[in-house]
Amino acid sequence: MKPPAFQYVAPSTLDEALAIRAEHGFDSALLAGGQSLIPLLNLRIAFPAVVIDLGRVKELTGIHSADGGLAIGAMTRQCEAERSDLVRERAPLVVQALHHIGHGAIRNRGTIGGSLAHADPAAELPAVALALAAELVVRSTRGERTIPADDFFRSYLTTALEPDELLVEVRLPAVNGGSSFQEVARRHGDFALVGAAAVVALDGRAIRDVRLVLMGVGPKPVRAAGAEAMLRNVQPSEAAFAEAAQAAVAGLEPTSDIHATADYRRRVAGVLARRALVEAAS
Amino acid sequence: MTIHIDVTVNGTRHSVAADPRKTLADFLRDDLGLTGTHLGCEHGVCGACTVLLDGGSARSCLTLIGQANGSEVMTIEGLSNGEALHPLQEAMRDSHGFQCGFCTPGFMMTAVELLRSNPKPTEAEVREAISGNICRCTGYQSIIEGILLAAERG
Amino acid sequence: MTIPATRYIGQSVLRIEDMRVLTGRGRYIDDLRLPGMLHAVFVRSPMAHARIVSINVERARQMPGVVDVITDQELVAGTAPMLVHTEMPNYRSPVFRPLASDKVRHVGDPVALVVAESRHLGEDARDAVDVEYEPLDAIVTAKEAQDPSKPLVFDDMETNISFGDSQTYGDPDAAFAEADRVVRLTLRTPRAMHVPLDTRGGLADYDPGTGELIYHATSQAPHMVRLGLAEILRHPADRLHVVAPDMGGAFGQKGFMAREDVCVCFAATRLGRAVKWVEDRVENLTSATHGRGEEIDIGAAVRSDGTILGLEAKLIIDQGSYPLPLPSALFGAIVRTVLPGPYRIDNLRWEEVDVVTTKTSFGPYRGPWAVETLAREVLIDRIAVELGLDPVDVRRKNMVGLDEQPRKMATGATLDGAASMDSLERAVDLIGYTSFRGEQKTAHEQGRLLGIGFATYIEGAPGPPDMSAAMGFPPLPERAVAQLEPDGHLTVFTAQSPHGQGHETTLAQIAASELGVPIENVRVVHGDTRTAPFSPIGTGGSRAATMASGAALLATRSVKTKVLSFAGGMMEISPEDLDIVDGLVVPRDAPSRGMPLGQIAAATYFASPAGEQPGLRSEALFTEAARGGWSGGTHVATVEVDPETGTVAIQRYVVAEDCGKMINPAIVEGQIRGGVAQGIGIALLEDAHYDESGNFLASTFMDYLLPGSMEVPRIEIRHLESDLYEVDYRGVGEGGTIAAPPAVVNAVADALGGVAVTQLPLTPARVLELLDSRQRG
Repeated sequence: MKPPAFQYVAPSTLDEALAIRAEHGFDSALLAGGQSLIPLLNLRIAFPAVVIDLGRVKELTGIHSADGGLAIGAMTRQCEAERSDLVRERAPLVVQALHHIGHGAIRNRGTIGGSLAHADPAAELPAVALALAAELVVRSTRGERTIPADDFFRSYLTTALEPDELLVEVRLPAVNGGSSFQEVARRHGDFALVGAAAVVALDGRAIRDVRLVLMGVGPKPVRAAGAEAMLRNVQPSEAAFAEAAQAAVAGLEPTSDIHATADYRRRVAGVLARRALVEAAS
Repeated sequence: MTIHIDVTVNGTRHSVAADPRKTLADFLRDDLGLTGTHLGCEHGVCGACTVLLDGGSARSCLTLIGQANGSEVMTIEGLSNGEALHPLQEAMRDSHGFQCGFCTPGFMMTAVELLRSNPKPTEAEVREAISGNICRCTGYQSIIEGILLAAERG
Repeated sequence: MTIPATRYIGQSVLRIEDMRVLTGRGRYIDDLRLPGMLHAVFVRSPMAHARIVSINVERARQMPGVVDVITDQELVAGTAPMLVHTEMPNYRSPVFRPLASDKVRHVGDPVALVVAESRHLGEDARDAVDVEYEPLDAIVTAKEAQDPSKPLVFDDMETNISFGDSQTYGDPDAAFAEADRVVRLTLRTPRAMHVPLDTRGGLADYDPGTGELIYHATSQAPHMVRLGLAEILRHPADRLHVVAPDMGGAFGQKGFMAREDVCVCFAATRLGRAVKWVEDRVENLTSATHGRGEEIDIGAAVRSDGTILGLEAKLIIDQGSYPLPLPSALFGAIVRTVLPGPYRIDNLRWEEVDVVTTKTSFGPYRGPWAVETLAREVLIDRIAVELGLDPVDVRRKNMVGLDEQPRKMATGATLDGAASMDSLERAVDLIGYTSFRGEQKTAHEQGRLLGIGFATYIEGAPGPPDMSAAMGFPPLPERAVAQLEPDGHLTVFTAQSPHGQGHETTLAQIAASELGVPIENVRVVHGDTRTAPFSPIGTGGSRAATMASGAALLATRSVKTKVLSFAGGMMEISPEDLDIVDGLVVPRDAPSRGMPLGQIAAATYFASPAGEQPGLRSEALFTEAARGGWSGGTHVATVEVDPETGTVAIQRYVVAEDCGKMINPAIVEGQIRGGVAQGIGIALLEDAHYDESGNFLASTFMDYLLPGSMEVPRIEIRHLESDLYEVDYRGVGEGGTIAAPPAVVNAVADALGGVAVTQLPLTPARVLELLDSRQRG
């Protein structure tokens, strides 16, 4: 399984990268960590005319504090985020989720931005971005814009990125409250069959704010807005969370495949949603 | 079309032209003749192709050669010093750590990374650290024992 | 028969193979390079069943680096038709070709061969070959295969049923009439795949000057590849040799000549250059061979006290499309013969149907008859549930103890030396059965689901003397050659073709012990048809421990006798009074007066040859042990099932096993653990799945899930090491894969309150469905 032929370029600045991307658009492939792209090349599922290796673009790396929250460069390796004290402190949900991503060797090379831009609905980081109300900063030769996570993930492997745009940074606002990441996979490190991420902020004895996201239940990660609404200003309890979790999965239409049936995904999404809410609130 | 690559492999610097669509694995095996790194799946699941890239374990089948430009790579061939085995290799042999040997180089490089960052791991930590490497022959126990033995011997 | 020296026996001697592997200097097929070597890439069918309307290779031929594109059109003049020759009467084989000619019959069926300067360029050209297909209905289920209105997979077979058999042993009608109850079970096992980490391949080295073809091939049975190639390529056998390089596993997938082997060798002879083919993982999963994929309906006639009066079983084996030289019917015969297991089951009604489908070929996969243990052991737990009895007690009630043996099984093989009852009691003890049941009850009150499952098996490794007759095919002797070199070192030529089992070490242990030399002075040579003694099976069927060791022992003993005879003349001492210790020929009563073996050997080489087989080289044939030959044991697993997500975690896994005397305990344990890991995969993870249109859904490791270090628990092993006689080594290679699936299935079924499992693998979704059915019912 050898890759098809392509032109390989390794720009050293962001401007260079943007110029090449503007020229080729979706005929080019952006190479971040390669953990998602290179299997597609080896399997001859992707046939880009040009592969743009972003590995030398230093402007895309780095983890910084920003407005009480975080700014993470798109090319930041997942292992770096996992080990970062700043990330652990300000966005522990990211670290919790990273533990489930593949294995050490994958996280050594895989990047935060690469996983987000790839937008696999069973992937952990898109769900986390949604749960943390992340803002995705994208750039092109035409300028820069910021896309809220709610608008970024469109469908299966599809984001709001235009053909000439690059994801350059993820901004995570300060998280108030507890968080929890739950997933069921066939084996340790596999893509999730189904998963849930929750952030719950308590105000005295009531739930001030809550975000609940489900993954593996459709073509993109799903924010359970209805369930969230049910829980605001309510006292946290096992029963309230169970009811909200049921509401979160009603009407979902996951796929069936050899790993799990649609019924399974829907049902267990509900279980994980409940578990995530309970743990986030504790 | 070729690109120019500068890469240090097992301490030796190579400055050569390479086909950019080659993975690091194919470059090591074909261009440098270092066939100790094996291909088991070419889609990043089995870990047989694991090498150390700038000190961190990486699946060489999921690395294009261009991405290794300017980097340092260590493969299984770089572990022993002439005929003298690395302590991890000795421990693996003493524990009967492998059978067909095809997955072994990948496990060894993963174990080198583990023991560098965690010189006295627990069995559970070893089990998790090697969970990205597949072995079809051993059921893993003898590999884990080999790594623990290496850790014990220091 | 004198007892051989045991210096190295029972020692976990460090493996001789290890140095090259540890340092990355193993030479596996893809590591082999020859000057001017070309690379072969197969074009394969994306369809399950279709007529080939046209194949257009012109565009591919023009592409950079392409030397040739070969189709059946080129092959047909230079190759003989292929079909299966088998000892099994009534097995129907089609006639077929190395490349698909008129039709494609499974996803992945090879249609053309591109030969190019590199694998990359070959794949580019492969993508440019245009094949026009006219789709036909796929034949996917056994029902479709048995439906005469469906299209034929092979027109010349006139049916999609390749084999049918029924046998009656004892009086099953009476047994079922007399029964208090009949307990039934239907089990469907998915196809499972071997997945050696090192895929299949071959490097055909052809010298146009001499007409000599050397095929370096990943093969467990190099002689069979040689014979097959000679026949199909019409190439003189004296100019055709097969050499197996280091191999990274096989588990049965590399035991015979493949259609691809013919194509690659043909390409080499046609082009006059070396041609290498190494399949990639997608090809290996899609097109190599698949194991298991059985459907079995089994029923037991029982008394209320748990006594099993008789069994009836119907087995359907899905052989896929192209039959292999070892056809499915062979393995069905083994299933039938071993189905009663170590139990007192004297009445059996048996039916078997082998069906042809539009899928990849069925081939033997480690313990290919394992469905007999799976079905029987899961059925025994069902009997316990339906009668309200303890599953261990049901086993105790029906199991044949050592004191009752030898005892003829209903199917004609003699149960002898099978310490199954001992293994059961040992397993019960080790797992702490009684306290587990207490724990289980407490956990259940807290809403946690724990379960325990046993499986007892026996394996003919190599099996008793009457086993071949019972199965219906002739016994296979094993050969070995021992040669004492002029320096006193020993070379042993084995017919084995190891790929991880450590035969280079275990056979050296045997030979070194027998001859009386340090193990470093023994070299075991294998895998080259120019030097390896002939074998129709090579490595497989758990033959090595008994058969290959036995042959090596006898050959070495013969050489020892010869050299001592000569030494007697040189030293003027009767040969009976001489021995060899640590490489020295010593008089027994004056050990300090020894002479180096090398000195005697060298002198023998230069002396005038005398005797029937002069010189220091002997060939020996090992047929079968006089009695016994059963390995076996009991596996027990405890699991916890998450009632909300259906995930299964194995808490403990215990093996109480008996393979007789162990040559190398570390190697034995490695074989057991590796087998158990594969068995866990079959029970919980692995599914080589086809959809209803014959599309293959497990062509990558994203979909075919192999157990990793977090999925395989610590496996605790106890060895019984019983022996029927002084030298009693028995095979151990396949037991883990045979016994682990029923142990795990029984444990999960027990955790769910005694549900009836009908389909594997037990995915989390299936587990929840079973739990729901229990709560409803």
